[in-house]
Amino acid sequence: MEQILANGVYLGSQYAMIALGLTLIFALMNVLNFAHGQMYVLGGFVTYTFYGQLGLPFVVALLISCVTLAILGALIEKFLFAPVIKRSARDESTMLLAAGIAFLLDAIILLVFGEKQRGVPKIVNGVFNWDFRLIMPYDRILICVLAILSIVGFIAFMQYSKTGRALRALAQDRVAAQLMGVNVDRYSMIGFALGAMLAGLVGGLLVTITGINLGMGGPTSIKAFMMVMIGGAGVISGAIAGGIILGFLEAIGLAVLSQYGDITYLLIFISLMIFLAIRPQGLMGKPWG
Amino acid sequence: MKRRTAMKSAVAAIALSAIGASAAWAENPTLKIGFVGVTSGPAAAWGISNQRSMETRAAWINETGGYTIGDTTYDIEIVSFDDQKDPKRAIAGMEKMAQEGIHYVVGPNVDDGAAAVRPVAEANGIMYFPYAFPKELYTAPASNAVLGMVANYQSGPAIYKYLRDEKGVKTVAFVAANESDPLSQRDGGIEAANALGLEVVSDNVTYQVDTTDFTPVLTPVMRTMPDLLVLSGVSPANAPQLIRSARELGFQGFISTETAQDAQVLREGAGDLANGFISVGGASTPELASDAMKEFVDRYTKMFGEYNDESNTKVYALEYILETLKANPAGIDDVKAFQATMDAFEAPNPYMKGDAKLRYVGSTSFGQKRQVAVPLVVNVYQDGAFETLFVAEVD
Amino acid sequence: MKNITSKQIAGVAIFLFAIYVAVPVLIGVTGRWDFYFTLTSVALLSIAAAGVWLTFYIGRINIGQGAFALIGAYVSAILVTKVGMNFWITLPLAGLFAALFAVLIGLPILRLRGVYFAMITLVLTEVVKLTALALPVTNGAKGIVSIPLPQELSIFGITLIPDFATLSNVKLAFYYVACTLMVICFAAMYRLVNSRLGHLCRSMQQNEELASSIGVNIASLRIIVFAISSFLGGIGGAMFGSIAQSVYPSTFQVADSVNFMLYTFLGGLGYVFGPMLGTLTLYFGWNLLFEFGKYQLLIYSSIMILLMLFLPNGLLSLRLPKGKKPNAAAEAGKKAEGASK
Repeated sequence: MEQILANGVYLGSQYAMIALGLTLIFALMNVLNFAHGQMYVLGGFVTYTFYGQLGLPFVVALLISCVTLAILGALIEKFLFAPVIKRSARDESTMLLAAGIAFLLDAIILLVFGEKQRGVPKIVNGVFNWDFRLIMPYDRILICVLAILSIVGFIAFMQYSKTGRALRALAQDRVAAQLMGVNVDRYSMIGFALGAMLAGLVGGLLVTITGINLGMGGPTSIKAFMMVMIGGAGVISGAIAGGIILGFLEAIGLAVLSQYGDITYLLIFISLMIFLAIRPQGLMGKPWG
Repeated sequence: MKRRTAMKSAVAAIALSAIGASAAWAENPTLKIGFVGVTSGPAAAWGISNQRSMETRAAWINETGGYTIGDTTYDIEIVSFDDQKDPKRAIAGMEKMAQEGIHYVVGPNVDDGAAAVRPVAEANGIMYFPYAFPKELYTAPASNAVLGMVANYQSGPAIYKYLRDEKGVKTVAFVAANESDPLSQRDGGIEAANALGLEVVSDNVTYQVDTTDFTPVLTPVMRTMPDLLVLSGVSPANAPQLIRSARELGFQGFISTETAQDAQVLREGAGDLANGFISVGGASTPELASDAMKEFVDRYTKMFGEYNDESNTKVYALEYILETLKANPAGIDDVKAFQATMDAFEAPNPYMKGDAKLRYVGSTSFGQKRQVAVPLVVNVYQDGAFETLFVAEVD
Repeated sequence: MKNITSKQIAGVAIFLFAIYVAVPVLIGVTGRWDFYFTLTSVALLSIAAAGVWLTFYIGRINIGQGAFALIGAYVSAILVTKVGMNFWITLPLAGLFAALFAVLIGLPILRLRGVYFAMITLVLTEVVKLTALALPVTNGAKGIVSIPLPQELSIFGITLIPDFATLSNVKLAFYYVACTLMVICFAAMYRLVNSRLGHLCRSMQQNEELASSIGVNIASLRIIVFAISSFLGGIGGAMFGSIAQSVYPSTFQVADSVNFMLYTFLGGLGYVFGPMLGTLTLYFGWNLLFEFGKYQLLIYSSIMILLMLFLPNGLLSLRLPKGKKPNAAAEAGKKAEGASK
């Protein structure tokens, strides 16, 4: 039981971080960023290069990951999403653009970093073992703590900083925010950069545990979509809730349903569909029209 | 207007290709060999290691003057098609090969692709060498597929038997990804373990290929305390994480798989925890590798910057195609002649020390010789490199 | 609908001539036989994409068409291999079964909107795939292989469709079948969009509450449209199964569902023939970029991004004079052919 809870907390915290960036971008621009997973992978590879290959300290590599992705996100928003959103008749057109960017990042990652699974040396060695009731390697505990700290930091940033308040205003009502004097273009770019940075941060954190390969992008995006759905699209607290719920769902599902083998995930997905059918706007989302 | 430009460019293209063809004529004629497999996306590592080993070998042949079949010396050209692990694309790839006049194709890498290209290959007279295990592909009336590696239902029993007899393994647990290939391989493995009298303590735990944390997946398996944990059809990306999770959960027994792995990936992903991990390999371990194999690895590393140990098992298909054609030059554009030669074909294996032979096998499994005889080399990972555990033959 | 212009008739005639006569002749002349399969795929995928387009017509982003294509492929394959039915009879049955499933699943999920509907359909693709892996009737992970080619179809002794196994050029036969299905599908779509149902759908796309307040039964309308959409997916999937002569759980997966959506978006959501053009551009385009080897994906995605940058409302937003739309698709087809030479 302790083990299941610990697994749930660990999975939930990393999932919540992935979902945060996605939901932030969605809240601000109504863009479903299909390339979110690829940004996560890119963050992982940047940390791999600087920490694993060049031997820089992990924290420095992590920072480089964040900065790289933030810049990339800002550029993508400014030169790709912003013009398309301005000129397209429907919001949905951006989905195609996002998918195109996902393919492009996939192609670039393949050409630059190769096809192999990559990993970095462990940041902390050793395994915490409480009488075989709870087993958790120290590096996982560390990453879990870092993830929770990042989430707390992000929430604090959104609550108390000027930028954060502007972003929240923008997410709530774009037109009203504009009328109140918020520079919409600038803050859209900042918001997108922030979302991409979060993806890069998770990638950099998780590369120390799971390693990274170019195939992880697409599935990560899809998982992030599911979490955002559970919590409610475009709501920060929803993304966190969604991430934690999916994390626990997997941890508990795999433990309880393991004797059913092949259909564990089938049941998880079906329960997800039933949940959404009952509560179409997720846990905390606003009904979407 | 547009059409006219298109016409012009078409004419130009024809003229260019004519010049190109005549230029090539001045040297050696070209023999095209195809590759249809996955070289992008999550499973890219499988296809890329495949494609690169073919390209390395082709460049090597061409550099040393070409390959003589009958009275003609050919330059080898590899034509590759990325099927994105999608059976629909794989069919398009095979059509493309037919279009290029290619009769010998390596790939596809997975079960569904290999099954989907069968009608095209048989209709167009193409022999293809898939890395997929379903027996239907190789048993009559199927005629044109040749299994390009050792199948899991052949390597599995050998590994389990070795571990049972030498290491006293009694119980075994299986874990597989929730996908066609790994699940089929798991079922084959369970059958083999039962036949050997091993007790299968856990056989239904699966994971999604995109799993990032294997601890919850493995926890219930670990509770059954198996002596041997088999990672059925595990992809090189998942293997290190599974090993790491199992070891961190305190698992002390053996871990094995029937697929090829890469030592570098294991070292980066699991470090010392991967020591003792048993996988199927080719002939690149120092105990077995011939000078040709060493040169191949060198050339591969020079050409692409980094070697991939998965290529050890993938160097063979091209060699088989060329050697068989050499044995019967009529096969170059007549697949029937090639098939007729297969039964009695035999040539020295250039990549292994000793007197190992290249020949076609598979009578036991498929009722006809539709498999390349690759030595079944079982490796064990130790401190960043593979060591040979034992070598067996497949029939 | 009432005022079909002579221009429109001419456009349709040119389009039909192009796909039934010009393309085979061109392929015969150039010897590019491999294009038959590619174009067959385009035709079949555009049928499924048409379904996605139709769900968009009621304001729902559908990323689940792969699920219905897979269901169609399995229904047909199971009926052919286990019951021994004629493929041509299983084809409509596959579509109907997919439609029935759509009705059942649509009742709860069609209440969802926007990204929620999009995402739940995405999950649906995964659910159907996992179900196919787990069920005994689908033969689980091993898939259904060695499916025989379509048999003869005859009524009162008159052969309508010959036995494919006896044909010398199966590729051409599949091409004609796929094109015919595509023509029927898009003709029906055109009719549907210009019917009363089409008007109702448009009003729903604008504002569901408003449509409902003027007396439109939106719930049943949604179900009907979703069922038609899935029917098309099932047909496309079943045909693919019979070409590949095998069906696996991975025959249609999440990537396919996403692709169907992309085809539809690229063609343009405001145009009936958008899905056809979008499929042609993206699917055929990928094959044409084959020559670039490892840069294929890089160039493909760059082109996709550029297209979106310059034509954010889809290819057909290159505003053609009304009524020449089918013609445009044919033109584009020819251009693509020309460029490949």
